[in-house]
Amino acid sequence: MAEQILVVDDEPNMLRLLRTILMDKTGYEVSTTNNPLEVSKLLQEKSFDVVVTDLKMPLVDGMDLIDIVKKIDEKLPIIIITAYGTLETAEEAVQKGAYDFITKPFRKETILITIKRALEWKRMQKELAALKKQ
Amino acid sequence: MFKFLRRFLKEEVDEQTRLRLKFDHFRHLLANNTQALETMADMEEKLSGDYLFDRAYLQAQVERLGGSISHIVTELNLLTENRYPELRAISQQIQEEILREFTAAPDIPATAYVLPLSALTEEAAVSVGGKMANLGEIGNRLHLLVPEGFAITAAAYKRFLEASGLDVELAKHLAQARIDDLESLEAISREIQTLVRQAPLPQDLEEALLEAWKPFLGLPLAVRSSAVGEDTDFSFAGQFATLLNVDAARLPEHYKEIVASKFTSRAIFYWKYQQFSAGELPMAVGCVAMVPARASGVMFSLDPQAAESNTTLITAVWGLGKYAVDGTITPDLYRVSRTPSMEVTEQRVAEKPVALVCRPEGGTAEVTLPPEQARTPCLSPEQIQDLAVIALKLEKHFGQPQDIEWALDDAGRIFLLQSRPLRVSTPKTPERESTWEQVPPLLSYGVRAVGGAAAGRVFRLHRDDEVANIPPGAVVVVRQPLAKLVLVMDRIAAILTEVGSPTDHMSILAREFRVPTLVDVGGATRVLHTGQVVTVDADAARVYPGVIPELLDSRTQPDTGVQRIPVFQKLSRILKKATPLNLLDPESPEFQADRCRTLHDITRFAHEKAMDAMFALDVDQALEPRSCSRLQTDLPLNLFILDLGGGLRVQGQAWVKEEDILSRPFRALLRGFHHPRVTWAGQVAPDLRGFISVFANTMYDMGKAEKGLGGKSFAVITENYLNFNSRLGYHFAILDAYISEEKNDNYISYQFKGGAAGVERRERRARLLGEILDYLGFKVQITGDMVQGRMVKYSLLETEQTLELAGLLSAFARQLDLALSSDAVVERCFQAFKDEDYNLSFLRPQQSVT
Repeated sequence: MAEQILVVDDEPNMLRLLRTILMDKTGYEVSTTNNPLEVSKLLQEKSFDVVVTDLKMPLVDGMDLIDIVKKIDEKLPIIIITAYGTLETAEEAVQKGAYDFITKPFRKETILITIKRALEWKRMQKELAALKKQ
Repeated sequence: MFKFLRRFLKEEVDEQTRLRLKFDHFRHLLANNTQALETMADMEEKLSGDYLFDRAYLQAQVERLGGSISHIVTELNLLTENRYPELRAISQQIQEEILREFTAAPDIPATAYVLPLSALTEEAAVSVGGKMANLGEIGNRLHLLVPEGFAITAAAYKRFLEASGLDVELAKHLAQARIDDLESLEAISREIQTLVRQAPLPQDLEEALLEAWKPFLGLPLAVRSSAVGEDTDFSFAGQFATLLNVDAARLPEHYKEIVASKFTSRAIFYWKYQQFSAGELPMAVGCVAMVPARASGVMFSLDPQAAESNTTLITAVWGLGKYAVDGTITPDLYRVSRTPSMEVTEQRVAEKPVALVCRPEGGTAEVTLPPEQARTPCLSPEQIQDLAVIALKLEKHFGQPQDIEWALDDAGRIFLLQSRPLRVSTPKTPERESTWEQVPPLLSYGVRAVGGAAAGRVFRLHRDDEVANIPPGAVVVVRQPLAKLVLVMDRIAAILTEVGSPTDHMSILAREFRVPTLVDVGGATRVLHTGQVVTVDADAARVYPGVIPELLDSRTQPDTGVQRIPVFQKLSRILKKATPLNLLDPESPEFQADRCRTLHDITRFAHEKAMDAMFALDVDQALEPRSCSRLQTDLPLNLFILDLGGGLRVQGQAWVKEEDILSRPFRALLRGFHHPRVTWAGQVAPDLRGFISVFANTMYDMGKAEKGLGGKSFAVITENYLNFNSRLGYHFAILDAYISEEKNDNYISYQFKGGAAGVERRERRARLLGEILDYLGFKVQITGDMVQGRMVKYSLLETEQTLELAGLLSAFARQLDLALSSDAVVERCFQAFKDEDYNLSFLRPQQSVT
């Protein structure tokens, strides 16, 4: 089954662009929203493998989103996209439980590789959990 | 950094102190030059489309670039005793233009609240909006017929908003608008519009309006938006209101109505989508005498969907032009060749059952036309020709294809109502006959408004208010064009309408969003029903049942790439002001400070003049003659040497020989130049030139390039130090090195930056030089077409040997721009360097590698 990716960004152009990049020859299924308030509803409706979110958004920012996502699915990797020159906050995000961060500007391949790594990480976590049970 | 300089500069010598200060300025200038070029290269790299970046990145880079350029200008003037004061103003002006890209709200000029059309020309666009400024230009400069009228300026808009406190209220409401929620968008729009309509006009503005309409007393007016910035980079086609045939006495009310239309849900959507901030698009308003039109229409001076056909596209309806613009009915369509014959190449006379006309009591009404008039062409062959001539005249005057609204009165006079830039799509996709006929099409007619192919489920739109229900990926089928579809254009697959034309507002917007669109598809609403899966081939005007992957693959696909997002377009506009290099040849009389048009020009100019000043080549305050010498050599180098102490055996000579050089790093470099496998003489071999002309995309002027090889090079030396600046063809190399017994002080810094060749070729060269420098043991950093290699703390012997190789590399590098026609050649050139084939013999099949 195709991996499910949720992309959250308040800026519709960026959202559309990310969707195009993530769907181009990858086989991922990509859902998008520009309303971070919708994220918990979306996560409850459907199972996702990775969440990619912008850090700086009105109402609910990427930091808040980490809490929201973690409450619903603790093992769901979150990739944070940060604005130019906001490295410190990105590091905070990782401390808070984000899987990784990417700072703009970034190459298209960078996000694809980061997602791939996040998916592998998730698989390993799953296997690890299964092994522990045995 | 200049610790080593102190070692050899004798304090008691004033001349040396002066020279040292001068060298400090020179070094600062070079450092800032490097930083400026680095920043530009970094920004150019982002333009490749491989990166995602944001506004913060752009702002930071622009700030950094501006800082470097300002320093360069300051240092140059310090170095030359203020010889180029004009460069400050030029640099400031270019930087201001660039910064304007970031200004949220353009400055609103403090003009009168009302300006007569007779006083307007193109330059007034910032005060009265492009629509009215262009109309003024057409009437006053081109002397074509336009209706009389006046503009209510952006200054009036500002006054209205501020005096009524609306500006604060609007910003609050707009901040809440979420573009993905159409219902909330509608609600916010209604609230804002009510606020605008209810706000009182300040007394001075009301008086100005009353004064303005006096000459029009009793005459009906057309009142329409002319927002500042409306037609520049983005099309706001049909987004703002137009009021037709209204009473001038109620102007204040009409004015507020137009201002309110800035905040319709579709305008807010579009405006937020394009990331305009609240203060942007000040709404100027145009008021012109109503033309009692017998027929009206739109024309595109060049068919935007088939630019290669070289035709002008004219549409026409009976009565007022609104029906041609909003697509209520399918207009007559004419294509006229743009060649001198002006032949009508296509004429589609549509059935036009109704027309919109002025009602005597004001406003407009739809009338049913007698059947014979409905089928009659609206234009005579002469009128078609007259319109086509006007279209070309406007295109020529405004310097780009135009989207023109016109009206024909009962006396047969052609009035122009609007002319604005038309975006012509690239790549141009010719209208094609379908080659895919394995399944019979459901529909096989219609006019392509936007090319491409798309598949999806049909959504049959019956009413305007159903737009919010359109699911993503739908093929929207609607009876008549609907500009409100802009609300979902970022997520739908295709649009089919039963009436309409490629010139209506919906089509213009669909083009902007690259949604494949067919208009005038008679029977579409009958044949297609909601839920049905279809493939729309807009290029061939066909609709097939099901999904046809072959067609989706073969047809032009809508581009959803990075190049379309606003921040990318902003970068592109900034780079146009920053990076093109116009000052190419320092020997040309054009090589003047006041000819600098871009930031790159400034760096180029300052670099050249700094060299001249440092080496006292053309400044009045020349240094002591003994300070600067020229090298007598068989190398094809025009080399000037400035000895800061211990670098030369002889002092005060105009010419020095190579054996007079004591500077260790310089001697090492020259040994590299003289490497037996390097051929300098004859420059680039004629047969290589032949190769280039056949193989390479010659963006390059060979003659100039060759001349550049003989350009000036400069060396600042001491016994242990070398700063070598050389021009190799159109690109530059700067080498800075220090060699001594003290290993920790030793370093070589080598830097290349491209000039006039195409970005691709320059980047290839950068990649190759990076590989070679890495191979030679340098730490390498590549940014765009700029390569920097650095090597520190190697022993005297190792550093000296590397310098020799660096000399070799300089000789090698001068040929590269010309040779690097493909990525494969990059690999072969790298191999050639490793094989010590420094003359690139592999490019010359008839010569064997020695």
